[in-house]
Amino acid sequence: MIPDFHCYIKATFIGVAYAFAPLLQGAPLSFNRDIRPLLSENCLSCHGPSASTRKGDLRLDDRDAAVSAGAIAPGNAESSELVARLFSRDPEEIMPPPDSRKKITPAQRALLKHRVLEGAPYEKHWAFVPPVLPQVPGPAGRKLSPIDAFVQSRLDASGLTPSVEADRETLLRRVTLDLTGLPPTISEIDSFLSDSSITAYENAVDRLLRSPRFGERMAVSWLDAARYGDSSVKHADGPRDMWPWRDWVVEAFNSNMPFDRFTIEQIAGDLLPQPSIAQMVASGFNRNHATSDEGGAIPEELRVEYVVDRVKTTSTVWLGLTMECAQCHDHKYDPISQREYYQFFAYFNNTSDPGMQTRNGNQAPVVTVVAPVEEEKLRSVRLDLTKAEQQLQDRRTSAKAGYAAWAVPPASDSGTAPPQEPEGLQDFVPLDEREGRVVTNILGGKAGAVAGKLQTCAREAGRGVRFDGSTEVTFSDGPDFDGAKPFTFAAWVKLPASSGGAILSRMDVKDSFKGFDFWVQGRSIGTHVINQWPRNALKVVTKEPLSADQWHHVVVTYDGSMKAFGVSLYVDGQLQEKTVEQDSLKGKFKSGASFKLGARSEAARVQGEIDDLRIYQRAVPASEIDALKQDPVRTALAVPEARRSPTQKNLLFEYYLAHEDGDYLTALSGRARAELALAELTRGQATSMVMQDNAANPRMTYILNRGNYDQPKTDAIITPGVPSALPPLPPGAPSNRLGLARWLTDPGNPLTARVAVNRVWMLLFGNGLVRTLGDFGMQGELPTHPELLDWLARDFVSHGWDLKRLVKQMVVSSTYRQSSHQSDVLRERDPENRLLAQGGRHRLEAEFLRDQALSVAGLLVDLPGGPSVKPYQPDGIWGEVNINAGLKYDQDKGDKLYRRSLYTYWKRSSPIPNMILLDAPSRESCVVQRSRTNTPLQALVLLNDPQFVEAARAFAQRLLKSGARDTAARVDLAYRLATGRKATPHEIAVIQGILVKEQARFTTDEAQAKALLAVGDSPRDETISPAEHAAWTSAAQVILNLDETVSRN
Amino acid sequence: MMNRRRFLLHSGNGLGAAALSTLLDDKLLANAGSHYAPKAKRLIYLFFDGGPSHIDTWDYKPALRKIHGVELPDSIRNGQRITGMTSGQKSFPCVAPMFHFDQAGKDGRWVNTDILPRMAKMVDEIAVVKSLHTEAINHDPAITYIATGSQVPGKPSLGAWLSYGLGSENANMPAYVVMISRGGGQNQALYDRLWGSGFLPSRHQGVKLRSAGEPVLYLNNPPGVDSGSRRTVLDGLAELNGQAYDRFGDPETQARIAQYEMAFRMQTAVPDLMDIGRESEHTLGLYGEDVKKPGSFARNCLLARRMAESGVRFIQLFHRGWDQHGSLPSKLRGQCRDIDQACAGLLQDLKERGLLEDTLVVCGGEFGRTIYSQGKLTADDHGRDHHGRCFTSWFAGGGIQPGIEYGKTDDFCYNIVENPVHIRDMNATILHCLGLDHRRLTFRFQGLDQRLTGVEEEAKVVRGLLA
Repeated sequence: MIPDFHCYIKATFIGVAYAFAPLLQGAPLSFNRDIRPLLSENCLSCHGPSASTRKGDLRLDDRDAAVSAGAIAPGNAESSELVARLFSRDPEEIMPPPDSRKKITPAQRALLKHRVLEGAPYEKHWAFVPPVLPQVPGPAGRKLSPIDAFVQSRLDASGLTPSVEADRETLLRRVTLDLTGLPPTISEIDSFLSDSSITAYENAVDRLLRSPRFGERMAVSWLDAARYGDSSVKHADGPRDMWPWRDWVVEAFNSNMPFDRFTIEQIAGDLLPQPSIAQMVASGFNRNHATSDEGGAIPEELRVEYVVDRVKTTSTVWLGLTMECAQCHDHKYDPISQREYYQFFAYFNNTSDPGMQTRNGNQAPVVTVVAPVEEEKLRSVRLDLTKAEQQLQDRRTSAKAGYAAWAVPPASDSGTAPPQEPEGLQDFVPLDEREGRVVTNILGGKAGAVAGKLQTCAREAGRGVRFDGSTEVTFSDGPDFDGAKPFTFAAWVKLPASSGGAILSRMDVKDSFKGFDFWVQGRSIGTHVINQWPRNALKVVTKEPLSADQWHHVVVTYDGSMKAFGVSLYVDGQLQEKTVEQDSLKGKFKSGASFKLGARSEAARVQGEIDDLRIYQRAVPASEIDALKQDPVRTALAVPEARRSPTQKNLLFEYYLAHEDGDYLTALSGRARAELALAELTRGQATSMVMQDNAANPRMTYILNRGNYDQPKTDAIITPGVPSALPPLPPGAPSNRLGLARWLTDPGNPLTARVAVNRVWMLLFGNGLVRTLGDFGMQGELPTHPELLDWLARDFVSHGWDLKRLVKQMVVSSTYRQSSHQSDVLRERDPENRLLAQGGRHRLEAEFLRDQALSVAGLLVDLPGGPSVKPYQPDGIWGEVNINAGLKYDQDKGDKLYRRSLYTYWKRSSPIPNMILLDAPSRESCVVQRSRTNTPLQALVLLNDPQFVEAARAFAQRLLKSGARDTAARVDLAYRLATGRKATPHEIAVIQGILVKEQARFTTDEAQAKALLAVGDSPRDETISPAEHAAWTSAAQVILNLDETVSRN
Repeated sequence: MMNRRRFLLHSGNGLGAAALSTLLDDKLLANAGSHYAPKAKRLIYLFFDGGPSHIDTWDYKPALRKIHGVELPDSIRNGQRITGMTSGQKSFPCVAPMFHFDQAGKDGRWVNTDILPRMAKMVDEIAVVKSLHTEAINHDPAITYIATGSQVPGKPSLGAWLSYGLGSENANMPAYVVMISRGGGQNQALYDRLWGSGFLPSRHQGVKLRSAGEPVLYLNNPPGVDSGSRRTVLDGLAELNGQAYDRFGDPETQARIAQYEMAFRMQTAVPDLMDIGRESEHTLGLYGEDVKKPGSFARNCLLARRMAESGVRFIQLFHRGWDQHGSLPSKLRGQCRDIDQACAGLLQDLKERGLLEDTLVVCGGEFGRTIYSQGKLTADDHGRDHHGRCFTSWFAGGGIQPGIEYGKTDDFCYNIVENPVHIRDMNATILHCLGLDHRRLTFRFQGLDQRLTGVEEEAKVVRGLLA
């Protein structure tokens, strides 16, 4: 018999994470609070819901099953096998088995026995029971807000008293940081302090909730959860544009979009009737996951991985469930079978995005995000373009006379016959341009627009163009090959020691590299002919590289056979040995990309000098290769007009226009200007990746054996559905993601609202009411205040999922407003502040630390949204890890160095280190709870990172130029800006001491002062003496690094 | 652990007991310290990124000569999935190594004396495991798998687990450092996640030591700030933060004061360790000429020894460029030129200093390469594709039985025929040598007691490898 089970309760909680045992004496046993955690921790991995891993055909999570198996005889410990096993002395018999490493104490064993004696009543897991609005605890006369009443009733039971309200300065800074991620300004502090009305605080809260910074603050943790980033994570980790989605999130928070709509649009915006562009963009939530472009990968394996990620992220973020545990077998703790996992999986399995994705930008499906264009300007530019076209046509006619005079064959060497010109020249790009923004394809009859630099270069027989790695020429039209048509590419090239890229291409990098190119690879030359890289493609390159920095004539011929043997490569007329890197081309294709010189549709920009590029629609035979070295213009010019072929006449005339006729050239560059202006205006039409289901041929879902992508159990098709332990789908919910979204936001869903309010609570109080934010299942922690959680959840739903209302409710509570001073009593009795007898105190998150420094320094450029920006980052960070040193971090300049941190470019395999060191997650996968650490590397960031040093320097300047009359006043101002309060005399004295020392040092060594002041791009006010400015910079560093400054107090 | 505690008690900042407990909190939650007496106190892991060919290095057998040019039999491939890079190939001709091999060591083991002449002399110091295997066949998933125990990003790295489990022996240095060098071949990508902390507290992430710029990011004072000036700032800061502690009673404040002091000491400790000026000519000579080049693999090996000596728990070197899809004979030669003498020199140096006894050294990549040629097989050239079914790594030092081979592959170096070692077994074994039971080194995350070796398949410590 158990003499006094209450003492066992106390013992029980030792070693259990959710213990606040001393506070619970006298409470009756609760299955969910006291018994289930013991079963879950010690028994359920073998005797739980998972049928496949269940031992002895016994489950203890289900009372009926446990009773009928004889494990539990309600009220009778002697007949209960469970009790017998718990107290057995036989190592073969005792449970849990010794080798399981379970740590159940004797007291816990006794508690289970006691429960059996009580009749072994079970309860459904609390989180799966829909919350009902609980009675707000009394007494009624107390005039507490519901939040405070619930908190107070727990404190009453534990004999603790709440802390006093924080002082007003601390409170204003706290709520300003919590709601906007930035500290209050001096005028905000002043107006708050001078407002003696009883609504002063509430007014401040309302002002902050209206601020556009509110959405930016709330978005940061949502971006963690949504694993948002600016790169694709895996393999090459190339760039992508999901910032329109990020901006949608900020805007949704700012416009106070109800959380149910916020949910529906992100889960299924694309499936809404006639979705708006914004709703399409919102659906990109589930395109934020990691994707791969790795050449050897198996697309289906990747595609399944993406769906797995969507299931995991969606269930963690909205349901607080670890559904991913049921991918390979039934969940061991929670009632989610493997079949139910794949029912959930089926919602995300019919999407049209492929397994193999691009490393360059956005992978279809995408939506174009239209930037508002000034219509007037657009019309005028279009008119300019039409005019320029007309001028060009006019000049073609009027240039005939000049041409006739120019096109006379030179009188000399009439004895030698003009060299034979091979038949079938289709395109000829002489590359004789010296300047301007166009390059002409003489026979193709088109001018290509130049991006990057156009520089001429010398070759003995004329001149070519230098492609410097920025140069790229795009034609609106050009040659097109489909894999079955033969071709010949010929050109003069001079390559530097290290080169690579496309001499010419028509290749859609985003569409599995569909297309063709004339390719340089480490000074070898060759060609790709690609239907789908790499499994349906041809790639051949020369075995020997060209010698560096010398002109060579290079030729690729291809006979259209779709085989590598159909490719021949020539260097300086000599047939070359080939390396065949891919020989799997099957079937014709059509590339969607533009014809380009010097690059592919994206990237692969070549470095080197190029001249006289020819393209034929046939494979030029070996005997004629030498003739391709000639300049065809010279060849044609050597022939008298009467004997010239039509091609030659055309060639000469076009060459004359493009290179010899000044008026034509003027008209040409006029057109190019207009085209550029048009491009400029229509630019900014970024895309954003979206969800899209296959309408025709929906993809079937099957259970994957042990979760393996290549082992579908095709005997049964799995249709979309939700776990049976949770309420069913609402009537009429469609069998797709929209149905799922409606179920998630159905008021009867027991999880969504609880999980959502718990997350908001964490943002404002520093910890959740349920401390395991992503796990509300059996293994998660129990809520510290279950009734409060339920009350908040019900109240949230019944008030239209109104987030700002919820936030306000929390921050105006007395619980929130308590002082964060930790008394000795509290440190002893509740060191983790689970009972909320004091205000929360913690270091600011990475982004807000940086934002605060910029704001205090007066450097912050508070612009909303747009493409992500690249502030200071130490050199070489990307290069250390990139594939073949591919992508470079081009640090931004000017305003972009000082934007709020949520707009910082997030390359997920190598994120910006100052943020990572301050606990920001890499965002490669869903994170709902950041770690909060305290390390020496963080001190180094805050003291030495140029971003923070520059902020200190600008902060110092701000203080010196503030008009504050003396040092004390300046220090006071500094404290108000950084900590929200005035400095004490002692603090002023300490800072003064630093100033004296530093000023003396910098005065004797002004070079040191100047060196420090040179950190950062922003200009310095040169009227301040360097020594004084530098000394104040040191003082500003102290103030920016104060524990009080880096914390939310 | 003890060192850290000692540092805290003697750091002269009058840290209260509360601050002390905060600093150690993590450690107390972690299975603080070893589970049993460790054979190795520290780990040096030489990671070859890209998938070095086991066939051309450590898994040679003369029978390979007989199958040269022979089409890979279906009975050997046995339905094995292959990457998209060679799945379209019509022919899969087997390739014997185009290198010279000799027998070396007391047991006459076959070694590629052509390109690994120095390591050939060390065969009696190392244990060669020829039966490693992994399910992954592409770089990103494979390297993420071996480094974090999962093919999908988000899990803590081996080093983060070690830092969490064992902490640092040196109060002025991080527990886990990473150094990277480039090779001459195709440099496949690395990812911060390979040394990341995943769901463990982020203080456990590896700290990159860099050859260019600051040795540790943000380590150097800004221009114009000398150590005296920094001292002035820190003293003022400590005084003011002490007042903040009085004001808020928050133990984190005391911890923060200590962290700033540790940062200050790191500013001296790290450059001291990176400075090889006082290394003898003899020692430098062990590592070869490359040791004079900052950022080279050889230099990093020497630095690894210096870190090991000073109590850094885990030093991980990544050498890049081992992905030989084509031109393997020439490119592999280049890679081995980078590493052969450096690896041998590191072992020798550790041995001479008595450090090899309690330092575990591991060397290998994320998978092996195919016996069949990728692309055309010519008289002197070929490539090899990725191969996860078997590959080789070597182990040496603390806890490892020297001079042995473990595991065996078939005549095609394609399938394991004896003693398979999954990469999770390898990780379990590494933890074991360091005194950690992989089943007990856990962290509760998302409802599971997560571990490096995963919660699905049970990993096995490879007893046959242990001394």
